[in-house]
Amino acid sequence: MAKEEALKVIEDVLKSGRTALVEYEAKQVLKAYGLPVPDEKLAKTLDEALKYAEEIGYPVAMKLMSPQILHKSDAKVVMLNIKSPEELKQKWEEIHENARKYRPDAEILGVLIAPMLRPGREIIIGVTEDPQFGHAIMFGLGGIFVEVLKDVTFRIIPITERDTRKMITEIRGYPILAGARGEEPADIDAIVDMLLKVSQLVDELRDYIKEMDLNPVFVYEKGKGAVIVDARIIAKIPEEKKEEIGVEYKERCA
Amino acid sequence: MAEKIVEELRPFFDPKAVAIIGATDKKGKVGNVIFENFRMNKERGIFKGNIYPVNPKLDEIEGYKVYHSVKELPDDTDLAVIAIPAKFVPATMKDIAEKGIKAVVIITGGFGELGEEGKKMEREIYEIAKAHGIRVIGPNCVGVYVPDTGVDTVFLPEEKMDRPKSGPIAFVSQSGAFAAAMLDWAAMAGIGIGKMVSYGNKIDVDDADLMEYFIHDDEIKVATFYIEGVKDGRKFMEAAKKITKVKPVIALKSGRTEYGAKAASSHTGSLAGADTIYDAVFKQTGIIRAEDFEHMFDLAKAFAALGHKLPKGDRIGIITDGGGAGVMASDAVAKFGLKMAELSEDTIKFLKENFPPHAVAGNPTDVVGDTDAERYRIAIEAFTKDPNVDAIVVIVLFQVPLLEEEKIIEILADYQKKTDKPIVAVAMGGRKTDRYARMLEEKGVPVYPTPERGVRAMEGLVRYAEYLRKVKEE
Repeated sequence: MAKEEALKVIEDVLKSGRTALVEYEAKQVLKAYGLPVPDEKLAKTLDEALKYAEEIGYPVAMKLMSPQILHKSDAKVVMLNIKSPEELKQKWEEIHENARKYRPDAEILGVLIAPMLRPGREIIIGVTEDPQFGHAIMFGLGGIFVEVLKDVTFRIIPITERDTRKMITEIRGYPILAGARGEEPADIDAIVDMLLKVSQLVDELRDYIKEMDLNPVFVYEKGKGAVIVDARIIAKIPEEKKEEIGVEYKERCA
Repeated sequence: MAEKIVEELRPFFDPKAVAIIGATDKKGKVGNVIFENFRMNKERGIFKGNIYPVNPKLDEIEGYKVYHSVKELPDDTDLAVIAIPAKFVPATMKDIAEKGIKAVVIITGGFGELGEEGKKMEREIYEIAKAHGIRVIGPNCVGVYVPDTGVDTVFLPEEKMDRPKSGPIAFVSQSGAFAAAMLDWAAMAGIGIGKMVSYGNKIDVDDADLMEYFIHDDEIKVATFYIEGVKDGRKFMEAAKKITKVKPVIALKSGRTEYGAKAASSHTGSLAGADTIYDAVFKQTGIIRAEDFEHMFDLAKAFAALGHKLPKGDRIGIITDGGGAGVMASDAVAKFGLKMAELSEDTIKFLKENFPPHAVAGNPTDVVGDTDAERYRIAIEAFTKDPNVDAIVVIVLFQVPLLEEEKIIEILADYQKKTDKPIVAVAMGGRKTDRYARMLEEKGVPVYPTPERGVRAMEGLVRYAEYLRKVKEE
C-alpha cells in the first residue's frame, strides 16, 4: 500500500523528466510510509493559497516549489510567519518575482502553504548509495553539528531497532538529545521510529532511490514526537524500467 | 551450504596431492621456492600429501618425478599451485578443468592489476573455473600457509622469511607483501597462525567465502582480515553476521580516503566516504575494527587466549606494582569508554587486612615496588571474587627486586584457569621482561608492552561480548 503510493509519486516525477523530487513530492513519498510531515498543501493559484492558509490557520509559511530551484533560501522563495490574507497576497507576488529573478526559466509547480512549526532540536536523516554495500542511512544532529563537526553516523539498510538505538547514542552530540543542562530529553523513540521507517522505505524502493536528505527534522520533547521540516529525494530509474520511463525522460531532457 | 564451502576449500588447506605448475630447480625462482617449501615440509613429516612438480622441460627435481603437463598428473591431485607467466595461465586452467582438479592457487601476477588485457585473462580464467566448479585463490598473491598441514605457497624462502608456529589465529590479507611481512613478524613475536590466506586479485575466493569456512574450522578461534576493498558488499555482510555469532572477526581496513564525496549531490552523500561506510558495516556485522596493524594483533592475541571467557561487563579492575603505570591504565580505561570497577567493601577490607600499610587497596590496587608474588596473589584473589569486577588488567613490572618472576607467572596462569574473568597482563621493559612475557603467554595469559595496549585489547573483548549479548536478545 505504502509502496504503491510512494512509487506513483516517484514514477510521475521520473516520467516528467526529472530525478530530483521537489520538497512537496518528497514529503508525499515520506507520508506514504507514515513519516511525520507537516499538514501542508500545494497551492497552484493565489485563491487556493488563501483557502489553504485559512484551513491551516495563520500564521503560515510559504515555500515556492520549482524543480529548477532546489536551494530555496538562496533564491528567497521561502516566506515565514505570514499572519494575514493581506500579507499572504503581498508575499505571493514577491515570492514569484524572486523566483523569476533567480531563474527566469524556472518551472513553478506551486507554492507550499505550511503551518509554522514550533522549533525543536534539529536532526538530519540521510540516505546515500554506496557502490559496494548499497544504501546507507545517516543520522546526526542538524545545523552546525553536521556542517562543521560532521558528527554523523551511518548504517547499511535495512537496519534493526538495535542499530538505530546505537546510532543515536554513538554520536558525540547525543547529550543534546538526552537532555543536557536541565533541558528535557528529546523524543528518542520518535527518532527510532523515523529511522526504521526510512530504512523500510528505502529497502522497498531501493531500485528507485539514489539519495535522500531529511534536513532539518525538528524533534520535540519526549512523547511529543517529531516533524520533518524539509526533505529532498534524488530518484533513479531502475534498470528494468529504463525503456519504459527512459524514453519520456530523454525526451524531456533533450 | 555449510558443508559445501568446507568441502570446496578443504584442498587449499589440506590437499591429498599438490601439483606445482612451474616448479623448477633454479634457486630463488618462485616455482622453486614453493616446491622447496612443500618438499621441506614433507621431509619434516608435516606435509603428508604427494608432491607433483610440473614443468615441460624437466624430468626430475630433487628426486621428484616432474610431470610434463597437467594432463599427465596422477588422479589424486586435488590442489594445483600455478607459478608460470600470466599468458600461459588460461590454457593451463583448461587443462586443470579437464583433469578435474577443483582447487587452484594462482600465484602469478600480471593480471587485472596491470590493465584491460590482464582483466580479460582473469575473466577467461574465472569462466573456466565457474563452468567446472573450480575454486580459485588469486591471482597475484602469495596464497596459503598452514603450519599444521605443511601447505606453504609463500614464495619468500625460509632463509629470508621466518614462518610462525601454529596457533588459533587465521589471517587473511589481500596484499601479499603485507601477508608475508606479517608472517615474518608473527614468527618473531611468537604469535601462532593457524591459517594464512592471501588472495590478491580475488577473482573467486573472497573474504565472505573464507568467513563461511572459518565458521566450521575448529582450529581457528579468531579470524583477522586485512581488507583493501570488498566486491560484493551484501555477501560480505551476510557472511560476517554469521561468523561473528560464533567467533570474533577483526578487520584492518586500509584506504581511509573519501571517494564517495565527488559523486554525491546530497548532504548525506558528501559525508559518506568509504571509511564511514566500512565503519557502519563493521558495527552492524559485529566485526571489530582494528585501528592499525599493532591493534589487530593485540586483539587477536586477546581473543585467541580469552575468547572462550568474555567479560560480563565493562568494569575493569587494575592491579599494578607501579603507580604511574596504574594511572596510565586508568586513563586508558576512560579513553576507550570502559569503566573503572568500584571495588566492593569486602574486597577493600580483605586487601587492607592482608596488605602492608604502604600498599594501596583500591582501583587501581598498587602492590608497590617492594612487592613479592604473594602480594599479587592476594590482590588477584580479591579481584576475581569481587562481583563488581568484570575483567582484570594486571601490570607486572618484573624489574622490582623482591618479585619472584616464575612464581608470579605461575600465579597469573593459575588464576587465568580458575576464574571466569578474563585477565590480561602488562609487562613493560626490555629483554628480560620480554622473556617472562613469552613464558606468560605460553601459559595462556596475553601480555602487552604498555598499559594502553593492554586495556585496548581488553576493550575489544568487552565490545565483542556486548555485541554477542545484543545479538542473542534479538
